[in-house]
Parts: sequence; C-alpha cells; structure tokens
Amino acid sequence: MDEAQLIKGIQQGDRKSFQTLVETYQRMVVNTCLGIVHNKADAEDLAQDVFLEIFRTAENFRGDSKVSTWLYRIATNRSLNMIRNNKRKRFFQSIEEAFTGGRNHGSEISENRNDQPDQNITDQQRSDLLHRAIDRLPEKQRIAFTLNKYEELPYQQIAEIMEISLASVESLIHRAKKNLQEQLLDCYKKKCV
Amino acid sequence: MKTKCIHKDLIFYLDNELSVEKRTNVEKHLEECADCRDYLVFLQKGIQIIEKEKNPEVSPFFYTRLSARLEEKPVYQTQSQWVRLAQPAFFSLVLLAGIYGGLKLGSNASSPKVHQQATNSIPMLNDFEAEPIESFLLDKL
Repeated sequence: MDEAQLIKGIQQGDRKSFQTLVETYQRMVVNTCLGIVHNKADAEDLAQDVFLEIFRTAENFRGDSKVSTWLYRIATNRSLNMIRNNKRKRFFQSIEEAFTGGRNHGSEISENRNDQPDQNITDQQRSDLLHRAIDRLPEKQRIAFTLNKYEELPYQQIAEIMEISLASVESLIHRAKKNLQEQLLDCYKKKCV
Repeated sequence: MKTKCIHKDLIFYLDNELSVEKRTNVEKHLEECADCRDYLVFLQKGIQIIEKEKNPEVSPFFYTRLSARLEEKPVYQTQSQWVRLAQPAFFSLVLLAGIYGGLKLGSNASSPKVHQQATNSIPMLNDFEAEPIESFLLDKL
C-alpha cells in the first residue's frame, strides 16, 4: 500500500491503514522525539500524541509533501512544546519550593547514581553533559542538529521539514556544532567528566 | 615552537567536514599536541553517546496503547482548548476592568470638585477643632 492510499484510508477512518502507518513510522517518530527530549518514555508518549494528531487531522493533509515530512514537523513541534511546558513547570516548582522549602530533585538524581558502577556514572555524566549542551542550543539549531544526527537526514530533507533554504540548514548545523564544541570544551577544561 | 591549539576545528574534523588541506594540517597538529589529542578523544566519546542512544526499541505495546487512546472521545481535548482560550480571555477582561476602574478612580480623585469636598470634610473629621478636649472633660464632670 503506498502513502497516498494509506492517507486516503486514514481519512476514511480505516484503522488498518492507520495501524500500517504507525508500524511503518513509529521508530522514526520516537527517535526524533528522543533526540529532542532525551527520555524514552516521554519520547513514546509524544510519538503517541503525534499519531493521534495524524489520525484526527488526516483530512487536512493535502499530499503536497511526503508523509514522513509531515510526521517530522509534528514530532519536532510537539517535542519543543513539551520542553517549553516543562521549563514553565520547573520555574513555578522552584518558586513553590522556595516558599515551602521543598526537596531539590537534582540531589535525588545524584543520590540514585551513587549505586551505579563507575563506568556507568561516567557514561551517564557524559550523556547528561551532551544533552545539556544540546538543550542549550537555540530551537532551530537544535531541530536541524537532531534531525541530522539522530535521523541522519540529508540537509535537503531537513530544509523541507523546517521550510527553510538549504543554505540556512547548512548554517544552522554549522553553528550548532560550533556551539556544542564550545560548551564541551568548557567542560573539558573544567574537567567536569 | 608550540603551535596554537585547534580545539575549534576538531568537531568538524570528526564529522569529516574539513577541506583536504585543513584536514592534513589538523592531523599534523594532533601528532604534536597532546592536549588536542585528549580533547579529540573527549569529543569523540561525547558524540558517540548519540550513536548509542538513537534508534531505541519501541515498546511492543505501542500500537495497543495508541489504539486504546483512539477509543477515548476527544472531549477532554476540546474542553481543554476551550479552557485554554477562555482562561486568558477572562484574565484579560479582569485586568482591563481593573485598569479601567483604576483610571476612573484616579480621574475622580484628581478632579478639583472632589478635592474641594475632601478639604471641606477635614474639619468635620477633626474632633479637636469641633470640640476641644477641655470642654469635653468639663461636660463629663
């Protein structure tokens, strides 16, 4: 069944077509979300939201672009929204904790890590460091970098997804790498891992 | 003579994005500079994290869970959209009403008529002027 038939089926409410679409693209969507939110459970929840949106708004799909492009767009938008909401929640939580003297969640994480072997701690620290560095990138740089590194998409396809020129994608990815390099160098000099 | 470190080029070196000439220079520099070699290893290990964590196994119950969510009527979402629209609208109205009320009060307070009234009412409130304490105490006796 080709993409056009699948979408037509979904537009008519056919669950079999929907299931085929989900099974074809679930890994891709979860991986894209994971590259932005860095948590597998959150990435799967987001991927579910993406497919629900596809099912409920399938009639709006005009077929001008590929289904994968449409999925990437929704996945990146939803992931960024989740990060924004989490930031907002953390901000209000920190205010609440300042007034109520609540426990710091960061200390819980480091306490849990004390049970892990040394190698895992280093890997975990390295992973945290990289995630923090990616999270500090401006949103457009983060999307372009994630699509390129996690999904290994060519610049042309990233340009289609982000609806920008090829030169802009090149520039975004170049700047993203430069920013990452600066952050990692800073950490290397401070010997934080 | 020690050459200047080339940290900034190393991420592009790893991704094979340097020109042949620049790449040769980087490789030559790496042979001499231990600090750049260490940083290259550090960078390599950091970037490898992406390779390790990407393409995770998707839960085998992914579609089952999704299917269950499809059965739910999207009432909650519609409701939340209404709430999302109504809440800011309500707060904006309250804010506008507050600003309007403040302006109204402010303009009344600054008008000369009200100012005059307020000045006139002061002696009435001043008990000492209306009835001195001596006469008050004498009355009590």
